[in-house]
Amino acid sequence: MKLKICHLYPDVLNLYGDGGNIRCLTRRLQWRGMEAELVKMPIGSHESLAGVDLVFIGGGQDFEQQVLLEDLHRGRDEELRAAIEDGVTVLAVCGGYQMLGAYYETYDGQRCDFIGALDLYTVGARKRMIGNYMFRCDDALGGMTVVGFENHSGRTRLGSGVQPLGTVLAGFGNNGEDKTEGAHYKNVFGTYSHGPMLPKNPDFADLLLRTALERRCGSAELAPLDDALERMAHAEMCARLERERA
Amino acid sequence: MRVRAFLAIVLCKLLRFVSRLLHRGGTAMPGRWAQRICPGLLGILSRDVKVVVITGTNGKTTSARMIEQAFADEGKDYFANRSGANLLSGITTEFVMNSTLSGRCRKEYAVIECDEAASVSVFPLLKPRVIVVTNLFRDQLDRYGEVTHTLANVRTGIQGAPEATLCLNADCSLTASLADDLPNKHVFFGIEPGACPSGEKSELSDAPHCIRCKTEYQYDFITYGHLGAFRCPSCGYCRPAADYAVTDVTEQSAEGSVIVLNAHGKSCLAQVNLPALYNVYNAAGAVAAVTEMGLGTEAGIRAIEHFKCGFGRMENFALGKAGAKMMLVKNPAGCNQVLDFLCQIKKPFALVVCLNDRGADGTDVSWIYDAAFEKLVDCASYLGQLAVSGDRAADMAVRLKYAGVAPKALHIERDYEKLVSWIDAQEVPVFIIPTYTAMLELREAVIRKVGGDEFWV
Repeated sequence: MKLKICHLYPDVLNLYGDGGNIRCLTRRLQWRGMEAELVKMPIGSHESLAGVDLVFIGGGQDFEQQVLLEDLHRGRDEELRAAIEDGVTVLAVCGGYQMLGAYYETYDGQRCDFIGALDLYTVGARKRMIGNYMFRCDDALGGMTVVGFENHSGRTRLGSGVQPLGTVLAGFGNNGEDKTEGAHYKNVFGTYSHGPMLPKNPDFADLLLRTALERRCGSAELAPLDDALERMAHAEMCARLERERA
Repeated sequence: MRVRAFLAIVLCKLLRFVSRLLHRGGTAMPGRWAQRICPGLLGILSRDVKVVVITGTNGKTTSARMIEQAFADEGKDYFANRSGANLLSGITTEFVMNSTLSGRCRKEYAVIECDEAASVSVFPLLKPRVIVVTNLFRDQLDRYGEVTHTLANVRTGIQGAPEATLCLNADCSLTASLADDLPNKHVFFGIEPGACPSGEKSELSDAPHCIRCKTEYQYDFITYGHLGAFRCPSCGYCRPAADYAVTDVTEQSAEGSVIVLNAHGKSCLAQVNLPALYNVYNAAGAVAAVTEMGLGTEAGIRAIEHFKCGFGRMENFALGKAGAKMMLVKNPAGCNQVLDFLCQIKKPFALVVCLNDRGADGTDVSWIYDAAFEKLVDCASYLGQLAVSGDRAADMAVRLKYAGVAPKALHIERDYEKLVSWIDAQEVPVFIIPTYTAMLELREAVIRKVGGDEFWV
């Protein structure tokens, strides 16, 4: 069994340890005797998303945003929208998550159009939302707790066409106000948990793999792995955030 | 103003005295209070002092120790902020401690390392003679933001010190761009293409796109990270010629490097007292700074051969059967250099990785996934025991697991006393790679066992 994983824009959307997510997905497949074929699609790549099972989009710096948007609007946006409607599994983090929405409006009112694959938009704020945080995924997704680190000034608002990925337990999430975190639409998972979120959230990592495998083969049984270290890192951060909240 | 300055100085000295009575460093706190009473105090105290300031992401402390050595060798009357307190508060404390109550600094020269984000407030007050910018890498996003913001900060700082001569890393496209649009005199230092085998272009470059026009750079030669002979195919921005150029790295070992350095057209052979290529950059920058401060190139070259490294920077301790070496890491670029160094050893060794996530470390530990710990798998035949420690030991353990290090080989030890005993029990050399606050704490535990200087000495 093999999954084709695409790392979209690894050259610019790689802000902080994003590659750790790819490594985690790949390893967890390999440990179960399955294969992962990794395809990197940097800016300027003409490779098609056809046949891709799972797309990962990371976060990036403002400096490269213009270069990125130019590339997106050369057809990649249309292709992404089609893949999403077709049920391809997507993990989009921070800047990559915002990019799937309708637009980003800066603090001083300048608007930048994104690809509009998800019913959400983002407005820049002056105060950055930075720190360790945790949220609980929707019950339909398994209700697991996810710990991560967020660092964003954009406040994201969800439209009626998408569900929140989860409810904030500690930290800010989408906007620091409505307790929602991330977005879920078809098989797209958008989140502010930047950097390598998957290694220390093994249940969430397996949710992505299961979703992609189910689409590819109809059903997916994931053999359990020894996640003692992963769960230790996860539990320690949960405990710390609980303590800070108390 | 005079009364305020006087009060600030008295309070600062008093707070420092009390701190030391309590066996604390008192490196930053007294200056913070002094600054509060008399903003701009640093400007008053540094008025008649000839200052060389070192900033940049990596290599500040090592460069400062190299430069300082030249001042010591030449018998100059100088002081330096050795403790690592490199923000406005810490630098102010250091100046107060070297000044009279009337606000006159007793020293002729100062060698000051300055945090890159603090350069905005520090440079205009210090009015340095020479500013060294070692390099700019992505570092602690939660604290500094994007690397281009850091660059803008340093640029704004320099705008407040137009008389300063800039010593800039020619191989860093970000740093070298500081020569644009600034009236300052500037010189470049760097490693010439071909001086050592070229590294590979990293997918995780911190500066892949032209700072002027955003086109992707092309490289004829790479030392590491985004450093090397960059050129923009679109606007023509490229690595400037280096005035202090390392034309050959003839030898690299675990003890140091031998280099050929060409300074303003004159070549000489020099030894660098610390291993790894990043210290070759530090050495070239230090020679540039010493020369531009008027001490002569020879003084700089002598200094890089016998300076004493900063605490935790390749610092040796008499622990275990074969000794221990502590190598501070703060960000992916620095960590990759340390990992490269480990891979070059080709002898059995043990490893300790200590990961903290406090303010000075950066509260976001995501960066450990940008550092290529996979390299440890390449030298697995030499890597024996492996321990992880620090506040985020579990995250570090997970990182190493996903790098391909077998989990059974991992020893998690959070207690520093026990960790020191573990290190002491090793038969092979132990390399310790801690983040900043982990380094301070672990170093204290090491010193309790085998002796050594407190961090502020």
